[in-house]
Amino acid sequence: MLIVIGGDAAGMSAASQVRRLQPEADITVFERGPYTSFSA
Amino acid sequence: MDALIARTPQAFLAKQNIRVHTGHEVTRVDPQKQRVLVRDLHSLAERWEGYDQLLFATGARPVRPPLEGIDCRNIFDVHNLVSGSRLRKTLDELRPRSAVIVGGGYIGLEMAEALHLRGLKITMIQRNAQVMPSLDPDMGERIGQSLREKGVDLRLGETVQGFAQRDGLAVAVLTESQVIPADLVILGLGVAPNSELAKDAGIPLGVKESIRVNELQQTETPRIWAAGDCAQSYHLVSRRPAYVALGTVANRQGRVAGINLGGQYATFPGVVGTAISKFMDTECARTGLSEREIRSLGLQYVTGRIEGYTLPRYYPGSAPISVKVLAEKGSARLLGVQIVGGPGSAKRIDTAATALHAGFSLEDLLYLDLSYAPPFAGVWDPIVIAARMALKEG
Repeated sequence: MLIVIGGDAAGMSAASQVRRLQPEADITVFERGPYTSFSA
Repeated sequence: MDALIARTPQAFLAKQNIRVHTGHEVTRVDPQKQRVLVRDLHSLAERWEGYDQLLFATGARPVRPPLEGIDCRNIFDVHNLVSGSRLRKTLDELRPRSAVIVGGGYIGLEMAEALHLRGLKITMIQRNAQVMPSLDPDMGERIGQSLREKGVDLRLGETVQGFAQRDGLAVAVLTESQVIPADLVILGLGVAPNSELAKDAGIPLGVKESIRVNELQQTETPRIWAAGDCAQSYHLVSRRPAYVALGTVANRQGRVAGINLGGQYATFPGVVGTAISKFMDTECARTGLSEREIRSLGLQYVTGRIEGYTLPRYYPGSAPISVKVLAEKGSARLLGVQIVGGPGSAKRIDTAATALHAGFSLEDLLYLDLSYAPPFAGVWDPIVIAARMALKEG
């Protein structure tokens, strides 16, 4: 089980890489704001 | 605004089977029991969730000094989609005619452009004697000049002390000697890493309270990683730890952390301090170290400057460009490059950023096989000419 705290650039880049390398990995992201991965 | 969202939680789940819980805050991390305490911000319910590996990607937040009146509802920082859209709504509703921008860095400059385009009368307050303090004073002054030409009232060497308020709205920004009326206030005072959660969990911090990591993005606490604006970086030119909060760095560090977490191997080499911005037709960029940073390392340096053109002067669209090159005295190791100029100037910094990554000397720059045809560039790239100037200096 991977937990990521924060769902923006760094968090979602990491989560996406893990998914690419490990199709079965259990990945959960907690983001306190209402959005993920916005452009800034 | 939806166009700014690269991917929604629904898309992450559907396309990548990644569960993203928005509106959920992690309030505690327990490294001994490998678990985090999560609060659902809607129901306020809390629960513990166990992990095998944990990544801090908690970002950074705008610096908000505890000044009298700073919580007025027309004082904004501009940090994410929420704060940006809140500002836009206020602009539409309150129809402010004047704005005071506190801070003359990247955020201040971009907001000056946005508000200038909306027709607001802008005053910019900057603590230093120049705007864009990440540039040397001579280069920063060129940005200052461009701001003044467009009617921005620049107040340099002024520090904000507080805000005069009426009915919950700021009506003036107060400095030591001045009262500057404002319908709207924008704060651009830099950011600080969100590292308290890590600190409370006993994870060691580094430069400017950012989370200390190795080049794999591992913290010093087992099974815990960090990436992005909350994490420390390594500066390849100063050869020291550094804190750089930029989206590009966050993407790269996140990618490295993810590859390692996914069972492969990757390292994040570090940063060279590249940044770019613009105000209207004036672009600026920097990479490496500024004169002030070089001096603080105790290094001796030489300087090369060139006033040139982005394209041959006869060619339509040719614009002035100023380039400044800094190199170590003696070894001629490239230390930094700064650019200010018209359209088409600033992105040329990437040649210099690449050279810094490669550890180039001034001589290495001289005979680079760079692209040339009149619609794109002059025969000699301004960075190369500036490098030649710096070599002459010794």
